[in-house]
Amino acid sequence: MSVDTEEAAVDARTLFASADRDWRHLARGAAGLAGFVGVWWVVSLFQNDLVLPSPVSVAETFVAELLSGAMVTALFQSMLHWIPGTIAGTLLGVGLGVLLGWSRRADDTAAPVVRLLRPVPPLALIGFAIAWFGINHAGAAFIVAVGAFWINFYNAYGGVEAVSEDLLDVARSLGVSGDLAMVRTVVLPSALPEILTGVRTGIGRCWMLVVAAEIFGVPGIGRQILTASNNLAVDVVIAYILVLSLVFLVVDSAFRAVQRRVLVWRD
Amino acid sequence: MARLSDSSGASDGDEPSGDEPNDNEPGDGAARVSVDGVEKEFPGERGPVRALDGVDLDVADGEFVCLVGPSGCGKTTLLRIIAGLEPPTGGEVRLNGEPVTGPGPDLGVVFQEYHLFPWRTVAGNVAFGLERQGVPEEVRERITSDLIELVGLDGFGGAYPSELSGGMKQRVAIARALAVDPEILLMDEPFGSVDAQTREMLQGELLDVWEETGKTVVFVTHDVEEAVTLADRVVVLAANPGRVREVVAVDLPRPRRRTDEGFVEGVERIRGLIGD
Ligand SMILES: Nc1ncnc2c1ncn2[C@@H]1O[C@H](COP(=O)(O)OP(=O)(O)OP(=O)(O)O)[C@@H](O)[C@H]1O
Ligand SMILES: [Mg+2]
Repeated sequence: MSVDTEEAAVDARTLFASADRDWRHLARGAAGLAGFVGVWWVVSLFQNDLVLPSPVSVAETFVAELLSGAMVTALFQSMLHWIPGTIAGTLLGVGLGVLLGWSRRADDTAAPVVRLLRPVPPLALIGFAIAWFGINHAGAAFIVAVGAFWINFYNAYGGVEAVSEDLLDVARSLGVSGDLAMVRTVVLPSALPEILTGVRTGIGRCWMLVVAAEIFGVPGIGRQILTASNNLAVDVVIAYILVLSLVFLVVDSAFRAVQRRVLVWRD
Repeated sequence: MARLSDSSGASDGDEPSGDEPNDNEPGDGAARVSVDGVEKEFPGERGPVRALDGVDLDVADGEFVCLVGPSGCGKTTLLRIIAGLEPPTGGEVRLNGEPVTGPGPDLGVVFQEYHLFPWRTVAGNVAFGLERQGVPEEVRERITSDLIELVGLDGFGGAYPSELSGGMKQRVAIARALAVDPEILLMDEPFGSVDAQTREMLQGELLDVWEETGKTVVFVTHDVEEAVTLADRVVVLAANPGRVREVVAVDLPRPRRRTDEGFVEGVERIRGLIGD
């Protein structure tokens, strides 16, 4: 039992130490942010609002857009492209990445097609999105899904390829036989760090892709930014960019927390 | 440190009713291995590499055999072939008369570099093979904690491999291999990556485990003193191509001391055999 209390004490110490470090990190970050807004504000004093509105007028616009409901609607619409597109692309990408990374035969068969399709940028597929789905949420989600697919495909593929041959030998010696059992017990857990990195990168990239995909006429934050740009309403543009950043920040931090939890075993 | 309790197989036997497939008596889990004219050729850049050329070797029930020989003489290759991890290009390996056709829980393997599953805790690593066999959870937990105790890692069941020293990792690897109650334990320089002090301690503990479980052990090492400390018989391999040069029986009572006359003689004899 003495080991337990000792461990608890060590836990508490490291916890306090890391809380301390976290505070220092946060303080520095806050200072950097304040500096950035300060410079922005000073520069905006000497500029026309059409070129660079001040932080204050952007904040006012932000609140106005929020209260009018326009911002919430746009955010909701963009979510309709982002979430289903990212989920579908991620599942397909991880699934195929694991399959081709594990099975030589599947890889040989698919390699030429993969090489052919890989360099195609998702936005080049707008034509297909319109033809297959129309100018609607599904069309935008399709483009987002293509983006998520490739990122996840390559990360999962690489993660599976890097699985240690020795661990597979150990598993075979302990009675694992058959592809499905091996994938479940060794390949997936072993490749999980790479897979999760892919998922996280994909979530971020797809958020940017949402904005780009909406340019072809589907309503959402991207559409709002485009319209505001056409009207030379720089304050509105910045207000919506802020929404993009805030949403990304929240989602990425949440995912990072999950990732850390799942991968506690990594030193 | 390692309180000697029954091995997994033996503790299964403690169950009131035989609710397990393996109702082995202690010592009954040991097996006879015969290596019969085993050859191995690897494809190489400049023609095939002949790693093993007609190796014959018989290991008795419960025997502790060490394989020594110069680097590259095929020790690892021979061990992997016995383990079923590598097919021979000629000859045959039999376990209790049955040809070995692939790896499996009968053939326990411990490697130099531990190869623990990093995403599993100590207990999770030890329990891996039992999970594959569908052993019920309570039985699994009991076997796992017995084995963790057997290898002297009490209290570390919840630790991850990244938190362990090399010696501790190797103890986990040994417990993991023993968990499925293999008929034979195949070890490839298992103590090659730990410091000398830890190595001696692990040698003593391995002998304890061996005496307690009665397993047949085939143990590869570079270290001639280690071989003479552990083995009933030391098989000296020669290189290019790999073959059995000589088999040296070590008829010394255990525990053996490195300063004993017989020990020193044995070491010198084997060194001479490897050297020329
Ligand atoms: N997968 C492989 N492909 C090609 N050649 C191999 C392979 N594995 C081993 N060899 C060759 O077979 C021979 C025996 O190798 P092996 O690893 O069995 O030797 P070893 O006795 O274990 O050496 P060491 O003491 O250095 O561990 C060497 O010449 C090696 O180069
Ligand atoms: Mg070797």
